[in-house]
Amino acid sequence: MNTFIKISVASVLMGTTVLLASCSNLLDVTPRSSASSETALTTAEGLDAALNGIYDRLQSTVLYGRDFLALSEALSDNAQATNKSGRLNNESRNIAQASFTNWGTSYLAINQANLIIGATANATFLSDTAQKNRIMGRAYFLRALLYHDLMRAYAYDPGVEIAQYNRGGVPLVTTGVSGQDQITFPARASIADVYKQIYSDLQTAIPLLSATNIPAYGSRPAAQVLLSRVALYNKDYATAVQYATQAIAPSNPALAVPLLANSSYISGWRAPNHPESLLEIVYTTPENIGVNTSLQTTYTTLVRSGDRSTTGGFGDLVPSTAFLNDLEAEKSSTGAVLDIRRQLYELGTTGRGPAFIECTKFLGKNGIINLDNVPAIRISEAYLNRAEANAMLGNNTAALSDLNTIRTRAGLPASTLTDNTAILTEILRQRRLEYGFEGHRWFDLKRRGQDVVKVQGNVPYTDYRILANIPSSEFATNKNLRQNFGY
Amino acid sequence: MRKLLFGSWLLSLFFCLSVMAQDATVSGRVTSSDDGSALPGVSVQVKGTTRGTTTDANGRYSITASPRSTLVFSFIGFTNQEVPVGNRTNVTVTLESSANALNEVVVTGYGGTVNRREFTGASSKVSGNTIATLPVGSFDKALAGRAAGVQVTSASGVPGGAVQIRIRGVGSISAGSDPLYVVDGIQLNNSNSSSFTSSNPLAFLNPSDIENIEILKDAAAASIYGSQAANGVVLITTKRGKAGKTQVSLNYYKGLSDPIKKLNVLNTQEWIGLRTQALINAGTSADAARSTVLSTLRQPTTLSDAEIAALPTYDWQDAVYRRGNTDNYELSLNGGNEKTRFYVSGSYFTQDANIVNVNFRRGTLNTTLTHQISNKLTLEETIKLSTTTSNGQFGSPSGGSFLGAAAFSSPLILPSVPIYNADGSYYGTPAQGGIPGILNQNILQVSELNTIRANTNQFNGGIALNYKITDNLTLRPFVSLDYRAIRGKYFSDPRTADGFNVRGRIQDQFNENKNFLTNLTLNYNQTFAEKHTVSALLGAEYRSDINENLGTNTINVPTPDFQYASAGALPQSISGGWTGYRKASVFANLKYNFASKYDLSLIARYDGSSRFGSNYRYGLFPSISGAWLISEEPFLKGKSLVSDLKLRASYGTTGNDQLGSLFGLANFPGLGLYSAGYDYNGAAGFAPTQLANPDLKWETNTTVNLGLDFGFLQNRLTGSVDVFNRTSTDLLLAFNLPVTSGYGSISRNAGSVQNKGLEVELNSTNVQAQRFKWTSSFNITFIENKVTKLYDGIAPLQNPDSAITVGYTDFYGVGRTAILGRPLQAQYQIQYAGVNPATGRPMFYDYAGNITYTPTSPRDLKYLGTELPKFYGGFTNNFTYGGLSLDVFFQYDYGRRSFNSQTSFLTELAGRNFNALKDVYDRRWQNPGDITDVPRTINGNAETRGISSLSGSRTLEDASYLRLKQVTLSYDVPAAFSSRVKVSKARVYLQAANLLTWTNWTSYDPEFLNLGSGNSGLVPNSRTYTAGINLTF
Repeated sequence: MNTFIKISVASVLMGTTVLLASCSNLLDVTPRSSASSETALTTAEGLDAALNGIYDRLQSTVLYGRDFLALSEALSDNAQATNKSGRLNNESRNIAQASFTNWGTSYLAINQANLIIGATANATFLSDTAQKNRIMGRAYFLRALLYHDLMRAYAYDPGVEIAQYNRGGVPLVTTGVSGQDQITFPARASIADVYKQIYSDLQTAIPLLSATNIPAYGSRPAAQVLLSRVALYNKDYATAVQYATQAIAPSNPALAVPLLANSSYISGWRAPNHPESLLEIVYTTPENIGVNTSLQTTYTTLVRSGDRSTTGGFGDLVPSTAFLNDLEAEKSSTGAVLDIRRQLYELGTTGRGPAFIECTKFLGKNGIINLDNVPAIRISEAYLNRAEANAMLGNNTAALSDLNTIRTRAGLPASTLTDNTAILTEILRQRRLEYGFEGHRWFDLKRRGQDVVKVQGNVPYTDYRILANIPSSEFATNKNLRQNFGY
Repeated sequence: MRKLLFGSWLLSLFFCLSVMAQDATVSGRVTSSDDGSALPGVSVQVKGTTRGTTTDANGRYSITASPRSTLVFSFIGFTNQEVPVGNRTNVTVTLESSANALNEVVVTGYGGTVNRREFTGASSKVSGNTIATLPVGSFDKALAGRAAGVQVTSASGVPGGAVQIRIRGVGSISAGSDPLYVVDGIQLNNSNSSSFTSSNPLAFLNPSDIENIEILKDAAAASIYGSQAANGVVLITTKRGKAGKTQVSLNYYKGLSDPIKKLNVLNTQEWIGLRTQALINAGTSADAARSTVLSTLRQPTTLSDAEIAALPTYDWQDAVYRRGNTDNYELSLNGGNEKTRFYVSGSYFTQDANIVNVNFRRGTLNTTLTHQISNKLTLEETIKLSTTTSNGQFGSPSGGSFLGAAAFSSPLILPSVPIYNADGSYYGTPAQGGIPGILNQNILQVSELNTIRANTNQFNGGIALNYKITDNLTLRPFVSLDYRAIRGKYFSDPRTADGFNVRGRIQDQFNENKNFLTNLTLNYNQTFAEKHTVSALLGAEYRSDINENLGTNTINVPTPDFQYASAGALPQSISGGWTGYRKASVFANLKYNFASKYDLSLIARYDGSSRFGSNYRYGLFPSISGAWLISEEPFLKGKSLVSDLKLRASYGTTGNDQLGSLFGLANFPGLGLYSAGYDYNGAAGFAPTQLANPDLKWETNTTVNLGLDFGFLQNRLTGSVDVFNRTSTDLLLAFNLPVTSGYGSISRNAGSVQNKGLEVELNSTNVQAQRFKWTSSFNITFIENKVTKLYDGIAPLQNPDSAITVGYTDFYGVGRTAILGRPLQAQYQIQYAGVNPATGRPMFYDYAGNITYTPTSPRDLKYLGTELPKFYGGFTNNFTYGGLSLDVFFQYDYGRRSFNSQTSFLTELAGRNFNALKDVYDRRWQNPGDITDVPRTINGNAETRGISSLSGSRTLEDASYLRLKQVTLSYDVPAAFSSRVKVSKARVYLQAANLLTWTNWTSYDPEFLNLGSGNSGLVPNSRTYTAGINLTF
């Protein structure tokens, strides 16, 4: 019987182990370096963290880390590639498919915004209205920015569509996906529908956002300038004027973001935070994009202004002769260049080959090489948007007034033009010079249906390369999607 | 509850069946047939029970057994003997030494062993003696060519570096393909968590401590390990003490290693001429080309021909390659009595690679203890401690870009570039603007000043109790811990290129892995009516494996003297992570033997893992196998031609739980996840990164194996032949999702891969004379690998093949493409067609086989082989004359097609500012009418309206090789002499490793792993000469 007892003991031992083994929570291991999607958005802190997750996407090199500034310059007539690292060579020569690649990153960020909007709208845990407004306002604002940037890269702008090439806007997804069953296979929405959504998002965001300028996140003036920009692209000039004015002269004048004066214009570009910024993508030390693709390395070999003895980055993309000529066009009687913006371009080093005149708007302003905050929306744009919209509406006086604000600030004499076309031309020229190497040129030419004239080879507006190609992997999974013409 | 009842039911069954008998004490002595000497440590077992003992130092034993029982005497290297007890109280036997494969003991896992005669699965055994003296950092490297079905590839020649073992091919597309490693019952965590060096989690083990290695290959052998067994199981048994006088054994060897080969590259004058021609061919005028080339070299452009002819050439390969050094010191103590036996060993191993500043140091301490607490209770314990330090190469698999790697860059640096300045300082430091050419780092400076290091401390311990409930029934609880802590360090010296602009960078890593395992097994063994032997194993197991990582990165140190983090003025980043998984399982094995002729084995394991999706937490992995010992049948028994003949057959399934990626979210592939690190403006952020897939489960392997074991002519010729069909299904594939959904892809169980193979192992005694003996063993494995299923709806490529392909990143981080109907790791490329003799332009084949200068992808892609071998194996010959023994071992690997990325750069022929291979230079096209495979040199490597001359299959090479891997000459000093100096055994040996290699591979070494950047920057294996002495007191 002794043996029997032992066997019983053994079988109980075994049984316990077996029971333990089949007990299901024994095998539930919760990740600690990541969070479950079921609980991530169920607290106010979680929603804030999720919002930061969208801003983090904006830092990507395919968005404001590089491409939405540098590619717009490379593709247009503002810049030429130096072949020092070989980067942006193809973009500068407008080689097919060498264009914007923000499709994936933008949609990842849009889904994040959709999830936040969905979670916040019905949140019972958000008792603080201010907090709820801030989260909703930012999520709508970011979604509008992301959709507009997708439209700028992949679709024709309203009013200048080439009918036989037009494949519509971009797929419009406004509901967050957190499970496999929520995945949809959307076709491209019409251009008008996407613009309608962007308008709606911005109009929702504006009253929710803080009236005080908070450049790192974008608040009410940023959304207003963005809407004036969107309206300008939409040829909806009255709206462009309306929102530009609201940004320039808010109801509480104390909250107005002033233009930089002539005397502080250059130093504004040397400070870590540009004083004119309404939305400025912030980079902290660990987020340094580094020596290969940061804006500093892309634009210049210099590590500091005036020091040609130390070579830093590659200086892959430098101003074209045409751009420099435009910048130097107005001279004093002694032959000195009047435009103070010319001071933001200087001769680089020979450390990586022949020296070029390089853009120094991004020079490791945050104190470390290759680390620069990136202004995405500046208050100057409100003046230029309003000037252009007024000119398009035939309001020459109003247009000239804003134009001269920009001109005189740059050290140029006030313009006395009277001809509407001439005023418009000068507004666009100032836009080119004011926003040199800040990523407007390609989109400004495109939205106006203009040909790109450059020494590397012209790109007529009717060329299919005006639009970027949608990544081919999308067509393998989504049969409803159509590629842009020509690709 | 049902399981509990089932368990109790089984146990009661055992109880009812157990038969009690009248026992008496039997004693006696066991001697060797070789010289009549006593054999200590022989296992003496009462047949059909687990009751047993071992002989003492004088070969004596004593055991309780009934007169009706049979005693089984077994000892490694000797034929088992079964002796019926009868009425005797003294049974003395003489064991025959044996080379008979069928008599060896097969280790089957969970403390089990079985005689090969009764084994129904497919396994290969490698004895510890075979690998003990090889001068390698880890035992796995020494397994190459030793066992059929087992492909062993060193990632590189880095001492103690990564080694890849593939058992019966590759059966996963994007999941892991590593076997499960079990050391003395401890299931190892073998993920490589070192950030900066190529490290090997198996390097903690001193190869000399290994008694034997059993490699379980088919489902029948491996399915007891369930969802971890799909890629095979490697069971390592380490040495345990033998009763008798304490033996002290000393082993020392010293090795020197030289590079297998150096590459013959151009001298300064040849390079200047070639580069000038490249520029001229691209349209530059001769004068401009000459001055451009001279200014590239930072020479005055006014140099005359005579001055150019006088320019010196510097040999960078000479500067960075070294004679490597290996030293190994070992001391072991082994002894005990009938109750307590121990084996204690310590070792210190150092190896310097044959390239500057790459080395490996290891200290180990190993103790094993076996103690009989009572007649019923035995304790088995093992503790292994080790500490290793490896200094890795800049550009080794995880430490920096290969462009700075000494092995990669040394043949490519322009030949006129000096290594040192006249004053002995490094030439071309970043402060001086670097060295001329694209590779602008002085690699000697980079290698000597930077520190890339990993310190790994490992603890490996296990304890088991064997409790004999009855003579037939043993309960065995087992607990183990496999602990590993890695301290990684990467110091970029501020004087070197990577540290110059940031004024020095210090990166530290701390990684800790805790792998806890416990199991409880119950063993039952009974013989009924003489002929029916039943044995059963029932077990339950729990494993928890947790990994934590911390990394820091800081820049800006005051001077290079400050190499620790607190000296860095600007901290850059801190990273930390946690990952872990748990497993819980029950398993059973039922074996039945009839009349020592027929064997049947049933295995089932019910395995759960937290890695699997919530809908598939548990999986069942069963197998069935049988064997027929034909030679025991009357029609063969006693025939002299056929000594042994056994037929085996098995069918079963195993699982693969190595999901995800080696580095990423490997343990949570089925969960919906938000990941951290999406920070903004100094505030924490997260983002959704993975969609939940509750249906995600293990990958399933179904293996059919047919095997024949044979021994002919009194076992002068033995061996086995196995054919197998391993079908891997439910393979994880990343399904692309429309990214408009916010996700790029999701992993689902979808793909299938088939591995069909044939394995042959042959051992023969060719000559057996009085004092001379010549034996050979040979093994070969043929494997045909094929992707049999991807998923539906993949748009075929627009080419005549209409190939269905899926791009994926494999478990090891290498981007690959799977092609339906082709082997994995396929080379799908544009085919190079040689050179147009009239113009020297490179030509390619288009899809129709016509010559084109501008092939397009995918239209002209063709399948051009795979990186998997067609066949591989090894061949050993051993010659013994008295105490003198010569062992000659060849290893071969045939049919791998790999890109020679190192050669690719060297083949540019100065199209860019790199040096070039002399023999490619000699073969280049120069004049119309030249028939050659090397196009004319041209700046930028591409002719006008042509693609790069290095495109397509131009540098796709055959990496097959036959290698004289090991030649060992050893001499056992005669006892008559050695005993005079109080040494009981003395052995001296000389060994050469990698002595000769036959291959068409054009750069250093055809044995390497493509870890993403081909063979660029890998430290090649070396040719090593070793001398050693082994003394036993």
